[in-house]
Amino acid sequence: MNTLFSALYTESLKAFRSKVPLLTTLGFLIAPLIGGLFMIILKDPEAARSMGLIGTKAQLTTGAADWPTFFNLLAQATAVGGAIVFAIVTTWVFGREFSDHTVKELLSLPTSRDTIIAAKFLVIAFWTLLLTLLSFGVGLLVGNAVVIPGWSPELFRSASVDILGAGIMTIILLPFVAFMASIGRGFMPAFGWAIFTVVIAQIAAVMGWGGWLPWSVPALFSGAAGPRGEYLGVHSYVIVILTSAVGLFITFYWWRNADQTK
Amino acid sequence: MNYAIETNDLSKKYGDVLAVTHVNLQVKQGEIFGFLGLNGAGKTTTIRMLLGMIRPSEGNVRVLGQALGAGGCGPWAQVGHLVESPSAYPELTVRENLDIARRLQGMKNPKAVDDVMQKLSIASYSKRKAGTLSMGNLQRLGLARAMIHNPTLLILDEPSNGLDPAGVVEIRELLTDLARSHGVTVFMSSHILTEVERLATRIGIIHKGQIIEDLDTVKLERFRARRLEIKVRDFAKAHACLIRENYSATINDGVILVSDLRAIEAPDEIARLLVNTDTPPTHLTVVQQNLEEHFMQLTGSAK
Repeated sequence: MNTLFSALYTESLKAFRSKVPLLTTLGFLIAPLIGGLFMIILKDPEAARSMGLIGTKAQLTTGAADWPTFFNLLAQATAVGGAIVFAIVTTWVFGREFSDHTVKELLSLPTSRDTIIAAKFLVIAFWTLLLTLLSFGVGLLVGNAVVIPGWSPELFRSASVDILGAGIMTIILLPFVAFMASIGRGFMPAFGWAIFTVVIAQIAAVMGWGGWLPWSVPALFSGAAGPRGEYLGVHSYVIVILTSAVGLFITFYWWRNADQTK
Repeated sequence: MNYAIETNDLSKKYGDVLAVTHVNLQVKQGEIFGFLGLNGAGKTTTIRMLLGMIRPSEGNVRVLGQALGAGGCGPWAQVGHLVESPSAYPELTVRENLDIARRLQGMKNPKAVDDVMQKLSIASYSKRKAGTLSMGNLQRLGLARAMIHNPTLLILDEPSNGLDPAGVVEIRELLTDLARSHGVTVFMSSHILTEVERLATRIGIIHKGQIIEDLDTVKLERFRARRLEIKVRDFAKAHACLIRENYSATINDGVILVSDLRAIEAPDEIARLLVNTDTPPTHLTVVQQNLEEHFMQLTGSAK
């Protein structure tokens, strides 16, 4: 347990001393801010046109300026934006060891490789969960500031499930990104993988197979394509958990067995 | 006998390329073992196998009497290492880099960080971010990380890299002191022959993945020793004269070699003696066998 605490301290220090937490926070907070701006526009399109926020000929046909629409936007942004921003976090935590040539400092130590990798995953989980909560919290503040109708405690509860559920599912799919950063020994393969999964998730969702593709599930859970019951079943959640378990297993296996030549 | 490092037919193959072939090393405790080789000879691959970072294709490694296990398990609490170029987390200070090394080594006492910074003369840089350090100070930081837990075995890949001449001397003295006064075993690779020659108590030369020479203390002393080399027309007469005067002279490959210090320090006396015996020298010079030449011959002939 002591070695895990030491590894956690080490990984936290490395992660939070870099500029990446600030950049990912700023990047992820764009969603509630843009959502707030969208609400302003939807509330009064004429005023928005006169302020130059939208073009004079722009037609606003989707959504209403209310809490359900705003929460739906936040949930979708958490799922889709999270797939990119959380992948950046994961890629940084794993890939930087190779780009900075520090991976050899994590080997041949009394602290096992498994402990160090576990600490990395825990830091990623904490960091990305914090981003999800921060985005939700800022969203609540923005929504209140913009003054939109439709708030109810019941809506807040269901929105919390949508947003946190989408965030947590996006987080538990991250081990594959960690694996790609490890076998690719750097940033690019993991970024490539993240973009690939976002693209195939869209395609699978459009073709109606989203419930069977783990990377489509968080966005469908967020309500991006309508009520989630139409697309997702128990099998979808099982697939997400199994994918996460496989990702964790192969990442740990790789760190235990791969030749470390960098 | 318990060796600090022992390898049995250690080999590593990458596809069809044999990086290391049947390397058998036996490094005694307290030795300073110099591991010499040209670039690409297999030094770093061997070192990474000793540290469990690379799995051998064949053979096995024992470090401090313990076989390296799955997942790179080994007696790492007693081993310090520096592999290839030094690296550190650039956004962390020197102190923080060492502090995380201390924690990962399972050391509880934070004072170890101060002690090792003093030892490696980097205390004045403790608050400096590692990303702003010069190559030499980064190397010192790497060495500090390797030594922070007072290991009994140090495995160092090119420890003098990037150091200025004063730094090279300082590290040499530090390693010598660790080996002589504290019994620390040092396994160091280098391509700076003079450095290894001065420091090592034993040298292994690796070429094209194979150990082609193992120079023990006796052989190394031969390289370090100076001799007087003499050529004359009548070898038997000159040799007899030198023996009569109590010089330890030997005839070897068409030259007379005299290893006595009094002959080396006063070759004019030897010349006078030979002239008086009617065997004047045609060639008389003080020679020292050169490890560099020997190394070049070995690696050249093995091409």
